[in-house]
Amino acid sequence: MSENKANNLNNNEEQLALDDGRRVKVLSPGMMVFKRFIRNKLAIAGIIILAFMFLFSFLGGVVSPYRQDQVFYKTDSANKEYASAVVNTEYRFVTRDGSRLSTLVRANFSRVIKDAGEEGVSFEADGAAWTVRKLGDSFYSIGTAQELGTVTMLGKIADVKPNPGMEISDEVKAAALQAVQSGTLEFEVDGQTYLLTKGKAKSYTLGTVAETAIASLLSFDTYSSEDNALVAGFEFRRAAELAINEGETAFEAAGESFALEHEDGGALIYRAGDTENPMATVSNVIVNSVTSGVFLPMDYKAAVADAIADHQTAFEYVNADGVTERHTIRMRGNNYIIYTEQQTYLIDMYAAPSMAHPLGTDDHGMDVLTRLMYGGRISLMVGFVVMLLENLIGIIIGGISGYFGGWVDTLLMRFVDLFNSIPYYPMMIIAGAIMDAFEVPPYTRIFLLMAIMGIMGWTGVARVVRGQILSLREQDFMVATEATGIRISRRIFRHLVPNVMPLLIVQATMGLGSIILTEATLSFLGLGIKYPLASWGSIINAASNIYVMTNFWYIWIPAGVLIVLTVLGFNFVGDGLRDAFDPKMKR
Amino acid sequence: MSMNAVSENVVEVRNLCKYFPIRAGLFGRVVGQVHAVENVSFSIKRGTTMGLVGESGCGKTTIGKTLLNLTPKTSGEVVFNGNTHLDQLRGKTLREFRPKMQIIFQDPYSSLSPRLPVGEIIGEAVREHHLVPDHEYDAYVSRIMKACGLHDYQKDRYPHEFSGGQRQRICIARAIALNPDFIVCDEPVSALDVSIQAQIINLLEDLQKEFNLTYLFISHDLSVVQHISDTVGVMYLGNMVEYAGKEEIFANPLHPYTQALFSAIPIPDPTVKMNRIILEGSIPSPANPPTGCKFHTRCRECREVCKQKAPKTMDMGNGHRVACHIYDPESGYGRA
Repeated sequence: MSENKANNLNNNEEQLALDDGRRVKVLSPGMMVFKRFIRNKLAIAGIIILAFMFLFSFLGGVVSPYRQDQVFYKTDSANKEYASAVVNTEYRFVTRDGSRLSTLVRANFSRVIKDAGEEGVSFEADGAAWTVRKLGDSFYSIGTAQELGTVTMLGKIADVKPNPGMEISDEVKAAALQAVQSGTLEFEVDGQTYLLTKGKAKSYTLGTVAETAIASLLSFDTYSSEDNALVAGFEFRRAAELAINEGETAFEAAGESFALEHEDGGALIYRAGDTENPMATVSNVIVNSVTSGVFLPMDYKAAVADAIADHQTAFEYVNADGVTERHTIRMRGNNYIIYTEQQTYLIDMYAAPSMAHPLGTDDHGMDVLTRLMYGGRISLMVGFVVMLLENLIGIIIGGISGYFGGWVDTLLMRFVDLFNSIPYYPMMIIAGAIMDAFEVPPYTRIFLLMAIMGIMGWTGVARVVRGQILSLREQDFMVATEATGIRISRRIFRHLVPNVMPLLIVQATMGLGSIILTEATLSFLGLGIKYPLASWGSIINAASNIYVMTNFWYIWIPAGVLIVLTVLGFNFVGDGLRDAFDPKMKR
Repeated sequence: MSMNAVSENVVEVRNLCKYFPIRAGLFGRVVGQVHAVENVSFSIKRGTTMGLVGESGCGKTTIGKTLLNLTPKTSGEVVFNGNTHLDQLRGKTLREFRPKMQIIFQDPYSSLSPRLPVGEIIGEAVREHHLVPDHEYDAYVSRIMKACGLHDYQKDRYPHEFSGGQRQRICIARAIALNPDFIVCDEPVSALDVSIQAQIINLLEDLQKEFNLTYLFISHDLSVVQHISDTVGVMYLGNMVEYAGKEEIFANPLHPYTQALFSAIPIPDPTVKMNRIILEGSIPSPANPPTGCKFHTRCRECREVCKQKAPKTMDMGNGHRVACHIYDPESGYGRA
């Protein structure tokens, strides 16, 4: 059967004369364009580039394991601030139960302490006489003083004369005389402290002091919160600080005995009989955690205080888990900042290319390759949609203008001139600013951007179409369609449009490249596609940071290469189409 | 259009005028008129050919296009088949009447759409006007193509694959396919070389016999006109200066312009001394035509009256009409 057919075919061919027209293989104009096109190596290179770009963008996003806005994290050790310490230079007051120190008294205290000695300094505040006495190194007592009388020395005889309204017991008198004779200015009778203040000639003023508060630079920290109340108490504080100042190793307070172990700038306090576990530490260094809510253990605070006292810049501390941490100390003003290496959950910014991220990650910690794929979608989509929009408006307006001519043509072309007079980039910048101001969502923004670009860009197409149609309209074959009575719609769509199409296809293909460039420019300037969406232009935007540009080539170079290749591809294809459509080209 | 009243004259033209406005300025104000065709009258009998000759730019093509209402006329009357005024038809009626009158253009290259196959170019209007039933359409197009010397396998080919002569055959086929009564042949052979010209002329003559066609044959090639025409009109600057039967006008040209024109016909005999009348100057602008007789600027017989007064068209008998003061006894040319 098939053999028969082949024979027939052969016979038929043999019957054709040598000059028979049927021997010539005939191609339709479309086929000829196609044939010429595929013989153009540059055009094929362009097609291959574009095919790659489309696969990369539209298939790549599907294949890629990541989302375009997926942020990657890494755990890394970072030297973070952990605690701050300060050497206390402000006096802390501990008041006797039920007493208060007014701000005025505290202020006066600050004023007089440099003159305060063992014998005390007095000042008047809140309607009372106050006496500040130095009890030790940076350790003062504050009390209200009351004059009882005068002690006058007459040779070896001393006379104690009470002030009006005061009574001085014999016991006190005897003790006062004894004190004057022995040269001490302080004595106690029945637990009440009496003071002698040197007056004129050989007379002394005898008075009592009621201690209201003590002031010191030391801070007390307890190991157990049960002891807080005890340690904060006036009696305990006074006894402990006195013992520290006088170098004693034991003291008593609130009916208990305590042992002291002196340290540089402070001390450790033990309950009597328990020398293993300290009960409280005393130090002039105050240690606070930088992070609120973090409780610093006592031994850590002690370690910091030790290190500061020893003027060290680093120390090691064994934490509760038994791990040795290295802490470094830096001065910042009057404060000491303690840093420590900590494991932290960080955004993986500017990661170098690796197997997981072949082109690394960007400044948001997103995979650059994945963003290039999704960005390509948007760049290509914007290119095509804007091109279609421009051509739609351009063909309609240019077609009407060219076909009808006359005043319609004049009017529409002046309208085109008007559009051409609008400065493109200022307009786009304003549009971008308006969209920013209204906080347009990213997806809506893309569509608005495409609409604006299309509306701003159709004039070129309109002019080309109009010119082409004006010249075609005068051609004899268009007159012939009128003479043969073919209806207008058919004249336009069967005769005019097919003759304009080649030029339009070439224009549109070439235009695609420039639209993609424009979109990239706008996105680069921050007017186009916004985070978290990406386009190739907005990815290159990272290079506007000189640090990124010089150090992280893998973030912006690939996007640039993709733009260049795509535009080149469109131009190659456009050139190839133009050559293929050109009837003057050889077959 | 009724068949019982078939007019003897397929086309009658009375006092046809066509002026093109000259526009200038921002608002396209009309500042002048190009007098392309002025007061032209003639008629063509069914089955005959009228030749229209004249220099370039004298309005020959404009007459052809105005006859078919492809460009609207300014004034005058064009009557088709005795009762149809084409310029009074509008829209669909006009389109439906179009097949009756066809045109063949001078340039066979620009008159065929490069994007349509030949079969479609020829048959498109046939389908548009439902001239044949759908099932006969293919055979009909093939028959027309054969009649015009084309092969039916060429239906699917595109115009760029054809030579100039073949393209002109396609143009003719396109016109013939609509079964017209009247065809304006607008210099159909002037773009072709001489051997092809003969083929096309013969084809036109054959088709005329076969389909009983009436031609208006526009040409500046006098020998072609002499060959094909039954009557001849001579045009100068928008006016028809002389109109007569072929034998009459070639034997006895009356108008000085016609005489000058015909003296330029080459005689294929080297021994004959040609007595050529050389016209001085060039054709004046139709936008600013000379007063009086438009030809007076170049006429050898020019007298004072020619510069003053436009000549009347005089019937010299035997259908020979001429517009010249020489033949008008009342013009005061000299004989009076």
